[in-house]
Amino acid sequence: MAHLQVLATHQPCWGSDARRVVGYDEDALTLAVAAGRAVVEHAPDAVTSVVLVTRDLPGLEGGTEAILLAGLGLPSSTRCSVVLGGAPAALDAISTGAPGTLVITADVEPAAGAGAALLGTSGAELGAVGRSEGSLPLKVRNTSGGTFDYDDPRLQRVRGTNAALDRLALDDKPIAVAGLGAKDAASLVQGSPAALPTTGASSVVFALADALERSAAGLVTAVEQATACVARLASGSTAVLRSARAARPFPKTQLGADASIAISLPAYERAFDSKLGLQAGQCATCGTLALPPRHRCIECGSEDPHPLTPLPRDGVVYTAVSVHVPVPGLRTPYDLAIVELGDTGVRLLTPVTGGEPATTAIGDAGTLVLRRLAVRHGIPDYGYAFEPTEGATP
Amino acid sequence: MRRVAIVGAGMTPFAEHFHLGIKDLLPMAVSEAVAHVDKGFDRKDIQAAWFGELVSTDGFAAGVMADSCGLLDIPVTRIENACATGNDTLRNAFYAVSSGHVDVALVVGGDKVRETSSRATFWEWMSMTRDQAWDYPLGLVAPANFALHAQRYLHESGATREHMAMVAVKNHKNAVPNPKAQLRFEISIEKVLAAPPVVTPFGLLDCTPQSDGAAALIIVAEHLAEKYTDKPIWVRGVGLGVDRVMHQHKQDMTTFPATVRAAKAAYAMAGVGPGDIDVAEVHDCFTAVEMISYEDLGFVDRFGAAKALEAGETSIGGRIPVNPSGGLKAKGHPPGATGIAQCVEIVEQLRGVASNQVDGARTGMAHNIGGPTAVSAVTILSTDVS
Repeated sequence: MAHLQVLATHQPCWGSDARRVVGYDEDALTLAVAAGRAVVEHAPDAVTSVVLVTRDLPGLEGGTEAILLAGLGLPSSTRCSVVLGGAPAALDAISTGAPGTLVITADVEPAAGAGAALLGTSGAELGAVGRSEGSLPLKVRNTSGGTFDYDDPRLQRVRGTNAALDRLALDDKPIAVAGLGAKDAASLVQGSPAALPTTGASSVVFALADALERSAAGLVTAVEQATACVARLASGSTAVLRSARAARPFPKTQLGADASIAISLPAYERAFDSKLGLQAGQCATCGTLALPPRHRCIECGSEDPHPLTPLPRDGVVYTAVSVHVPVPGLRTPYDLAIVELGDTGVRLLTPVTGGEPATTAIGDAGTLVLRRLAVRHGIPDYGYAFEPTEGATP
Repeated sequence: MRRVAIVGAGMTPFAEHFHLGIKDLLPMAVSEAVAHVDKGFDRKDIQAAWFGELVSTDGFAAGVMADSCGLLDIPVTRIENACATGNDTLRNAFYAVSSGHVDVALVVGGDKVRETSSRATFWEWMSMTRDQAWDYPLGLVAPANFALHAQRYLHESGATREHMAMVAVKNHKNAVPNPKAQLRFEISIEKVLAAPPVVTPFGLLDCTPQSDGAAALIIVAEHLAEKYTDKPIWVRGVGLGVDRVMHQHKQDMTTFPATVRAAKAAYAMAGVGPGDIDVAEVHDCFTAVEMISYEDLGFVDRFGAAKALEAGETSIGGRIPVNPSGGLKAKGHPPGATGIAQCVEIVEQLRGVASNQVDGARTGMAHNIGGPTAVSAVTILSTDVS
């Protein structure tokens, strides 16, 4: 039996209300951080372990867990694991997790979204009821990203969804079905749940959030191909945090000729904790913050150790430009800004994300969000981008 | 400390010299400087050479210079200090002569920018000049470094893109009679404002072109000056200033502290002030950089650049003409050569033979800023020995 202490959902701003998609600087990891970070900020110090459930991992190797923890602002000592799975795996992880567990779910395809659930000792109860694994590989993705689509919705419905739910022998009609499109789910549920924006792992969190917002209690099911999982949701007090800016189409941009941008992995590794955790070195002698951290204090010259300290993730633009000329490997126009973080006096040079290029102005307020800043020699290079507060610029 | 005189100065035209390599351009500039010495000059008199090049081409810089110019019996040292390379190369040679260790020195600058595709140059040069982890992956292309300053400068000073355009119009006009200039045509303010955007607030006509070229100076100790010329030009002051490298650490981006520091050192050594400068070659890789530099060099008050442009103070015939050669903007900008070529122009100005002569000029200045915006070198030249 798990208690849902906090739920958070996140949808990227790109695409349409019917189908959100990831931006060029987003992937499952950045979506996961966006959803998970909302929970961490809402309940600081509550998270003791992290589970990420997704089928859209940007890479199979390469320190996914470390990137996730740094983006969430959690210590690198936090237990963290990645589960390759869809909606049933997500419901299973949430309904069986121990208090202190932050289950994050993220989907890129076919629609993008993310959710996070913090399990605690209070909040609405979610108890595992049953699960059934089945194999009906209507869609197959291999490790290099190639897909095979059998494309038989009727077979999916009859021998996938229905057969899996039959095996669970539910005594009630569920109040929510995650993992299915709105049309397929409609005939299986009681009441009138909202259409879920995703069909993967994150659809479970969207379904739970919707149920809690309309104070519905009962069975919640999650389906993927011929696998199903069911849990029982009781009413209770759970904080539900929603993040979804207005949907917008991609701005018109031009992709410069392909370019392979070199990466120095020693430089990547040295910068990692500060760059992905958005942490400054703090001079032990005079307290001055340095981003990036430096051996010798910029203020007092002390060369004592400089422990890292988290920086605020809100900021105001000190200066900004728009790059219009074609740049190999990048989409122009794009904006770059120097942003002052909170009231720390620390500035960061960042790309601007989440809006129309060539609109960033001095004085704009916004937040620093984890993004995939570049892919260098095939290696994703994460860091922070500035997302102006909605409505701050036209 | 001995006084130091320039007795010869020469340069190649600045252009896209697709048909000439660095090994062609360097000896061309050196030969012009040698031929420029009034009373004749024997290359065997050169005791040491300094060569400024930003990016090595066709081999390691000092060796390429010595080899291509036939200077195998003297020490040759390469100087690289970002876009301040040119004036810093002269500074280093100056110290050797003024200290008494060298009597006759050759100062050469050159770069072959158009040796790679203009697209590839973006990333190739950026990887050398940006923090590998923090700045390089962001697409901080060269104009963006200066544009970040310019945007803040416009925001705080009240100057406009029209004022920036006035710089471009002035420098293009100055380049027309200069046979060494790359862009010898006039433009209008309307044309500058209507040019395609590069990096805001810079349009295409706010930007220096990409250039190849080389320039050379021959400098000698005071006691040898009259052996070579009756019109020595004295190196009165040299200065170098640096600043924080990453933009994040530059507290006030409406100014270039590197320039303030370099100018302070050069003025102090020369025993002159901004009011004594009759003509100046100022680093105008982008139009707004010339404006900010007026203020950093002390030519106008803080945020006074726009008014000075409106009043024509920096045009030929104005209070302090700036970039009579056409500047980087229209003469061109092969980085290692740029500062040396500025000095070539000032030598001609002080001798009264420049293509855009400033009447009665006796003291002139050359200024570079680069790094980006983290290093500056300033040279003060004069007809007056003290």
